[in-house]
Amino acid sequence: MNASDHNRWSEDLAAFVLGALEREEAAAVERHLEDCSRCQEEMRWLQPALQTLPESVERLEPPPQLRQSLMAEVRADARAETAAERPARTRSWGWLLKPAAGFAVVALLVAGVVGYEVGKDGSGGGGTTVERQVGGINVKMVQEGNSGTLQLAGVHQLPPDKVLEAWVEREGQVEAVPALFVPDREGQAETRIADMSGVAVVMVTEEPQGGSDQPTGEPIMTMAVPQ
Amino acid sequence: MAVRREKAERLADEELMPLVGRKDPEAFEVLFDRHGGAAYSLAYRIVGDRAAAEEVTQEAFISVWRSGARFDAARGSVRSWLLSVVRNRAIDFLRSRAGKAPKLTFDDDSALEQRPARERTEEEALQRETSAELRGALGKLPGEQSKVIELAYFGGFSHSEIARMLNLPMGTVKGRMRLGLEKIRGDLAEGLA
Repeated sequence: MNASDHNRWSEDLAAFVLGALEREEAAAVERHLEDCSRCQEEMRWLQPALQTLPESVERLEPPPQLRQSLMAEVRADARAETAAERPARTRSWGWLLKPAAGFAVVALLVAGVVGYEVGKDGSGGGGTTVERQVGGINVKMVQEGNSGTLQLAGVHQLPPDKVLEAWVEREGQVEAVPALFVPDREGQAETRIADMSGVAVVMVTEEPQGGSDQPTGEPIMTMAVPQ
Repeated sequence: MAVRREKAERLADEELMPLVGRKDPEAFEVLFDRHGGAAYSLAYRIVGDRAAAEEVTQEAFISVWRSGARFDAARGSVRSWLLSVVRNRAIDFLRSRAGKAPKLTFDDDSALEQRPARERTEEEALQRETSAELRGALGKLPGEQSKVIELAYFGGFSHSEIARMLNLPMGTVKGRMRLGLEKIRGDLAEGLA
């Protein structure tokens, strides 16, 4: 390769490093780089300049809820992974008999006698939607096939060290829903329940960061699921 | 098994990454605490909106959490890799908000007039790059060089788009990019940046 050939490619390297070449141009530079040690060296030389650009912006403090929400999702992922690696664990309803959780029993009983607003959703997909108001929280349970989405509105803001954890009762046993979640600034919160088969009751409690193996406080909502 | 937070804090970024790859939340949390501020600041600089910056930062870190093994230590530091993930997410967000495919394909004024949403985005971008306070190495460049670099890096525009926006030949835009990056690199080498 002669010097003018090299200079032609060299002119494109800065735009390439900045991601400013069109797709075809970038592909051509990549192919050229495979065989041109001079351009490879120039690329390596320019890279540190690129790395100063993100550091040149005005530094802002990330909002606390970003860390809270991110880590809730990460810990839920990690818990789901751990759960997948070991046989499913279920728990009895015994904790419900504890005095601290008495509200749950009452709420479940209430849920058993209060009527539901049940309807087909508007998507034409045959999903079922149940909507209720529980203790000032608007609860919407959307079931699509075997999975469901629990949508809450009007949830109070949580302290930074707390998350929401959903629980399902299936054949008399309580199971934690792996995905922890938090309300957004408008008080809306949503979690997905991957397996709704046989679920009779859905409940949500406020738990410490990382979630709990058993509900530790009073539920902020409970809802019986129509079979 | 997850490492304890205190232990994770003593590890270098490059040592944390294998733990993140094994889905260790404590290691990941330390990584976020070290670089989350820079990531959020970069996202905000690109998308210009706090709620969107929060969304972009969260998505970027979740993608890192779920694909931590993709980090290649031979290609740079963990921090620069993380920030490049955030930058790419933020640019994707801008493009999806502008309702267009990744790169512009039109090349004449009449086509430009048929894309009002995109045109507004370009105007907004120009205004933002012009009014932004420049800091660090970028702030030491002549305005004509810093502008093309900012439009490319923070705006996600190609050199041909920038040429149209600034009414300059494409070769001039590429030349200014090169001069600007070389100047920053030279300052770094001399310890001035």
